[in-house]
Amino acid sequence: MKNPGAAQSHRLVGLLEGALLREARLWKVPVFKNGCIQGADISSSQHKEMILWLGETSRLFQFCPETFALGVCVLNRLLSTVKAQPKYLRCIAFTSLVLAAKINEEDEVIGSVKDLVVRSGCNFSTAEILRMERIILDKLHWDLYTATPVDFIHIFHALLVSDHPHLIPSIGLSSGVGDDSATDLGTLSTEPGHQKRPPGFQAALWTRQVQHCMACHQLWQFKGSTLALAIITLELEVLMADWFSVFTDLLKKVQVDSAEFIHCKEIVDEYLHSLEFSLPANAIYIFDSAQIQEEEEERVWSPRLHLRQHKRGRRGDGEQSDSDEYYDGFRRLYNEEMTAGAEGSAMEGVFDSQQKDISPCPPLHPALN
Amino acid sequence: GSSGSWWFHTLQVRRLRVQRGRRHSDPLGGTNSEDQRPSLQFGAAQSYLSLEKLGEGTYASVYKGISRINGQLVALKVIQIKTEEGVPFTAIREASLLKGLKHANIVLLHDIIHTRDSLTFVFEYVQTDLSQYMTQHPGGLHSQNVRIFMFQLLRGLCYIHSRRILHRDLKPQNLLISYLGELKLADFGLARSKSIPSQTFSSEVVTLWYRPPDVLLGSTEYSTALDMWGAGCIFIEMLQGWPAFPGVSDVFEQLQKIWTVLGVPSEDCWPGVSLLPNYKREWFHQSEPKQFRTVWKRLNQLPYKTEDLIQRMLKVVPTDRISAQDSLQHPYFSTLPLPVMHLRDTASIFKVPGVRLETEVRDIFNPQRKVRPSLLPNTKCW
Repeated sequence: MKNPGAAQSHRLVGLLEGALLREARLWKVPVFKNGCIQGADISSSQHKEMILWLGETSRLFQFCPETFALGVCVLNRLLSTVKAQPKYLRCIAFTSLVLAAKINEEDEVIGSVKDLVVRSGCNFSTAEILRMERIILDKLHWDLYTATPVDFIHIFHALLVSDHPHLIPSIGLSSGVGDDSATDLGTLSTEPGHQKRPPGFQAALWTRQVQHCMACHQLWQFKGSTLALAIITLELEVLMADWFSVFTDLLKKVQVDSAEFIHCKEIVDEYLHSLEFSLPANAIYIFDSAQIQEEEEERVWSPRLHLRQHKRGRRGDGEQSDSDEYYDGFRRLYNEEMTAGAEGSAMEGVFDSQQKDISPCPPLHPALN
Repeated sequence: GSSGSWWFHTLQVRRLRVQRGRRHSDPLGGTNSEDQRPSLQFGAAQSYLSLEKLGEGTYASVYKGISRINGQLVALKVIQIKTEEGVPFTAIREASLLKGLKHANIVLLHDIIHTRDSLTFVFEYVQTDLSQYMTQHPGGLHSQNVRIFMFQLLRGLCYIHSRRILHRDLKPQNLLISYLGELKLADFGLARSKSIPSQTFSSEVVTLWYRPPDVLLGSTEYSTALDMWGAGCIFIEMLQGWPAFPGVSDVFEQLQKIWTVLGVPSEDCWPGVSLLPNYKREWFHQSEPKQFRTVWKRLNQLPYKTEDLIQRMLKVVPTDRISAQDSLQHPYFSTLPLPVMHLRDTASIFKVPGVRLETEVRDIFNPQRKVRPSLLPNTKCW
């Protein structure tokens, strides 16, 4: 018998290579010049707004993160292939998401195109969407199935779990990439001494971060593999002392240019940090306690926020007291005391089915819409 | 054949052109050149002649055709576009997945013709499929041919599974067979790339006969093991000449057929099974697992390793099922020439010297052919 761990790792490396090849073949993003997409009148802020809207729409339709990521890849590829007028941008973005859903989602999740248009609150006609669908398929030669940043998050996560089982207590279990051996790893976590965490939890967190980063125009200039690696590396730095060897191991497998990687990582760090403190000053939110239970998993954000904050606190003493207060507030919102005692088993189901809903925010809804 | 795949590679570098009627309304405007030569181009409907209808599927009709560009035979899959929903998701999945798959055991997509009301996929033409082949050669196939077909089926599955793609609709009709005996996986309309975290899948996917017990029980957490069950059923069907778990009306009868052979799974061997939606408690007192050779008699005439491989494929518990990759290493295939294990993805197994189909014992198109009774599968001893 082969060593199952080695076989698993081998399979994952094969999967990674396949994904890198698809990315190399199909990855393309528009070039920005003077704040606009080269050759079109679409500004970077319009583009960003569109991707954020696509993210909201995707969540509204209950599509999985992979579908959102694929939709953004299709949109970016199209914008780099054709000259698009700003007035068609929303229609192009929406159709990109519909196409991604047709590839990724089960048909009962997708619903009818007409229904999606209505739910999105847009006033496109179905004919417009279908005409756009034809244009996108033709321009991209029907070659839509690329490797997205979200795919890379999951592959890297599975590689980490497979190659460095000692990381399991810190980064959780396999996200399902290696279905066959996932159960083997699963049994590991029940051994005494291992801190229980819901499977897929860390991967879901990173997925959420990568989704945020995809809306940042400085960041989507980087390939999905580079972006995913940057996000994971930032986390590893916080979580473990010997992160560097683990990181170089991944870096070798991805063969990313190291200067580009470092640049990407710096921007990711800044960007995610800016998001953590970017609650709009004048926004009024109503705390919706009815939702807190069904969206319990959202508190997975707090440990990370906490860790990052401590790290930063050490850097800049001035922030320390403010941030403690800030996090006390968060802790209460997230009901952290309860989390500490929560058992993985009770939460597994929640995570499996609802990891796409993880949000950096507690369940709040705007006072007025 | 082999020249076909080279031809396809050169095709890929050419730009796909689609004629567009109303240029003025193109919202992306300005990127088209004006030369509209009527010459034969890829992506243009007039480049193909339709010859005869080959079949009707759930969302498409398939015609035999000929390419006016290079004279090759092609299969034209004509898909109706519903005015409300646009291109069916099955078509988008099939095309976008096939675009990335280049393998000797996966059907080749040559071209796509996309107009306002219809969509045509141009595939390589493959003479027959496994269902027709088994109809032509009833009573079970030659054991060597079964081995060659199974090897190719598993090779194709290994290739797609390594890319996290599930076929999800394996059945003899979807396995195309060339005159040489090359087997190609076709009809990826229900396939999808399994996005990496385990997602919930629709359970209404696989044709009932080839559907694994976990999916029949209502589990939606399925993976590559789904296709392995289907492959195991097809294995039996090729040997026996009839389906392994045939034709019943609903999920429960289908499960009953499976339990009759494999026994009812218990919580001990499959933790959580009794929680699956279609699980019934009254099953518990029922049948014990049977030896496969007592159910499928052809196995009595074959070496034990045949039964062993089938047993590893038809495991009730999905996580116990052998993977496509491991199955290719099974001793059952050790009688094939060694180079079959080291083929390039795009190289056919028939490139290896010594690999060829044997003449089937029965052939309904050549009933006159004299066959010594001793060669018939049922009387043959190994």
